[in-house]
Amino acid sequence: MIARGAPGRKPARWMVLLDPVFLRRLATHVLIFTSFIAVWEWAGQTGRLNDLIMPAPSAIAAAIWRMYVVTGEIYWHFFVTMFEAVSGFVIGGVIGLGLAIGAALSLTFRRYVAPYAVALNVTPGIAVTPIFIAWFGFGWNSKIALAALIVFFPIFVNSLSGLLRVDRDTEELMRSLGASKMQTFFKLMLPNAAPMIFAGFKVAITTALVGAIVAEFASATEGIGIMMQRYAHRLDIAASIGVLISMALMGLLLFTLMEVADRRTVFWLRPERLEQVSRKRRRRLMALK
Amino acid sequence: MYHETRAADGADPGGAVILGHGVSKLFGGTVVALEGATFTVKPRQFISLVGPSGCGKSTLLRMIAGLIEPSSGSLHVHGDPVGKPRRDVGMMFQRPTLMAWRTVLENVLLPTELVRKVTAADRDHALELIELVGLKDFAYAFPSQLSGGMQQRASLARLLQTGADVLLLDEPFGALDEFTRERLNLELLRIVAQFGRTTLFVTHNIQEAIFLADEVFVMTPRPGRIAGIVEVPFERPRDISLMQTVPFNEMVAEVRGIFDRDNK
Amino acid sequence: MSDESIPGLSAEDGLTWRRVFNHLAILVAFLTVWEMLTVTGIADELLYPRPTLIIYSFYSLFIDQGIVWRHLWITMATVLSGFVVGTILGISLAVVAGLSETARRYMKPYIIVLEATPRIAIGPLMLAWLGFGFEAKLAIVTLVCFFAPFINTLTGFLSADEDQIELMRSLGASKWQILTKAMVPDAMPLIMAGIRLAMASALGGALVAEFISSNEGMGVLLNNLAAVLQMSAAFAALLTLTVLGFFLYRIMESLESWIIFWHHDDSMRRVARKRQTYWSKL
Ligand SMILES: Nc1ncnc2c1ncn2[C@@H]1O[C@H](COP(=O)(O)OP(=O)(O)OP(=O)(O)O)[C@@H](O)[C@H]1O
Ligand SMILES: [Mg+2]
Repeated sequence: MIARGAPGRKPARWMVLLDPVFLRRLATHVLIFTSFIAVWEWAGQTGRLNDLIMPAPSAIAAAIWRMYVVTGEIYWHFFVTMFEAVSGFVIGGVIGLGLAIGAALSLTFRRYVAPYAVALNVTPGIAVTPIFIAWFGFGWNSKIALAALIVFFPIFVNSLSGLLRVDRDTEELMRSLGASKMQTFFKLMLPNAAPMIFAGFKVAITTALVGAIVAEFASATEGIGIMMQRYAHRLDIAASIGVLISMALMGLLLFTLMEVADRRTVFWLRPERLEQVSRKRRRRLMALK
Repeated sequence: MYHETRAADGADPGGAVILGHGVSKLFGGTVVALEGATFTVKPRQFISLVGPSGCGKSTLLRMIAGLIEPSSGSLHVHGDPVGKPRRDVGMMFQRPTLMAWRTVLENVLLPTELVRKVTAADRDHALELIELVGLKDFAYAFPSQLSGGMQQRASLARLLQTGADVLLLDEPFGALDEFTRERLNLELLRIVAQFGRTTLFVTHNIQEAIFLADEVFVMTPRPGRIAGIVEVPFERPRDISLMQTVPFNEMVAEVRGIFDRDNK
Repeated sequence: MSDESIPGLSAEDGLTWRRVFNHLAILVAFLTVWEMLTVTGIADELLYPRPTLIIYSFYSLFIDQGIVWRHLWITMATVLSGFVVGTILGISLAVVAGLSETARRYMKPYIIVLEATPRIAIGPLMLAWLGFGFEAKLAIVTLVCFFAPFINTLTGFLSADEDQIELMRSLGASKWQILTKAMVPDAMPLIMAGIRLAMASALGGALVAEFISSNEGMGVLLNNLAAVLQMSAAFAALLTLTVLGFFLYRIMESLESWIIFWHHDDSMRRVARKRQTYWSKL
């Protein structure tokens, strides 16, 4: 009888810094990256690159410095887009998850919601942009609406398949214990679906960002998408690339937030988290009266 | 709910816990999963159901558990016709069916949690059961940290936590290796004897069926039915060495004979 | 637009006449309410066009004025060429990278960053680089279609069944044989999923490209119609895209069941029959 996750303290995270293999790999990564940048810079400095097409890294760095430090113009746009994406995500997520729950609990509901969900799925959500702008105006609302629309389907479909993927034996166990429908839902179906639901969230959060940015491209006065558009129109490639990097940053930031939420919620699929949660649970159960 | 006296004053004269008469089950109107099963299970009896795949063992168990209804015939548990799942009948499956997001203790507490708020007394009771099944040091471990055998021990503890006095075990150790299975069988015997519960145990293994049981229901497929009921006279407590004895092996041959007779 | 079907619904419990009738009844009821709301002026007809008007717009877009065809054709051409180029590029690069473990390891951080980046955001840059013509649109769609096949192919190779490769080695298979007979078929379901995802995003990519750049294509048509508040026509154009999307989706679905036949019962039976005749004729 051997436990797989044998108890015992694991080495701390920072210990990896002492691992020679890790250090060598890290060094190689850094080396590759810097030599790439160096060659690129050299090509730019010696006039081998056309500034209108691919400016040197230093020019891009200067553009980034300008928008982040000198003028600081990016912060507001950054915030606007982030707000639009997150609001859209929340709205689309609540609707998507809500309908998925309904569809999981009732076959009839599932049947009647399915054709519309399919129609929504095969329509490129982005195509609705002009209509939403007509409906919701040039401000933030149309961006939020578009983001909400395009995050709906990935969240709906992932949540639904997660909720339906319940082990038959475990479901019978719940029934044999006399669990109510509510109990089965909250104690079995929902936690069981959590990994899939979060998988949907993770896809959706970057999708929401795409929605917000595309809607900004189509028409907006503020937001990082319109900032990009303006620089590109002016053929200020260095600044455009700076904005593009900021967009990547925003995507990474949102994705990381989601990833952290996922790790915290779906702890049981993360072996390294089990011990901590186990200690917490033990304290809670010991305190029981 | 469970009444101590029910079996005595119920519909049947022999004080049976479970009473089946001509129980049949059809799936989709055509698949005959079980046909005409007639049997009695008396209090504290250990019954083994043995038979090849598809002979309706699980179907019979699920009907007794109230998970599905018989298509025809009558089936009574403690004198009541089966219908809904009941608290005094507990079930255990081949796979552990533990919830990955609950610690062992929380898994064992699930049956209690479904009917009332868990108290310190419930917790201590559950901890005792966990100790009884040999998981003392793993009460706060998560299922993914346990081996297959340990997971089944945990689900056995959960079954005992229900307080059910009829235990339905559907190949509970079927997915485990020979050594672990043998050990768990012995422990199961010890535990069931200690609690004095009525037990129905499904298995594919004739030796195992005989070794554990007071009575063996021999089942055959197409259509699934109880082809014979063999009484096992060996004294308890039993030891593994029993399996080497001549009478034991004669009994194995007798059960085999029922299958062979049926195949002709 | 993502590429999945609704779980929990199998084909056989799908359609009885009764259910089709119910579905239609609900749809008709919904459209009638909508129609009534606009007719009575509770909903602004300018913004929420009447269903009957939308139907009429189909007639005028497709037959009477016939302006939709040209745009549709251009968008289709962009979608298909970008899809083909992007997918081929993605898969072949992944195959090249997938052969070397070192290459895979050093590419990983960049792939993670690229995955989180809203790829379509590079659109305006593409325009700046390539001008407002077909090339820029093609480049945008290609880029949008590149990543899913690339990443999935790479992942497919990464998660190849080690035992199977071991077995191939023990049989004395060459590197090429291992690749074509074990790794590629093993990774095929994932690769196919990547291709389907690419197709699912191609149409969206083309529309964005058209929104920001060109003067023709469905994106432009939609934009222009909505801008002058010809909402019924805009809706008709949108529904056209829905139908188009549906066809693309179905095509990819059958392509998948054709290629990964071992995941689909009926395709499996068909291939089994074919193989049987092949082997018995040998
Ligand atoms: N829900 C169901 N719908 C249709 N047929 C079923 C269903 N459940 C069981 N059956 C059929 O009923 C027959 C008996 O099934 P059952 O599961 O009771 O067999 P079993 O003896 O438990 O077999 P095993 O040893 O493989 O567990 C089988 O032919 C099976 O296919
Ligand atoms: Mg069974």
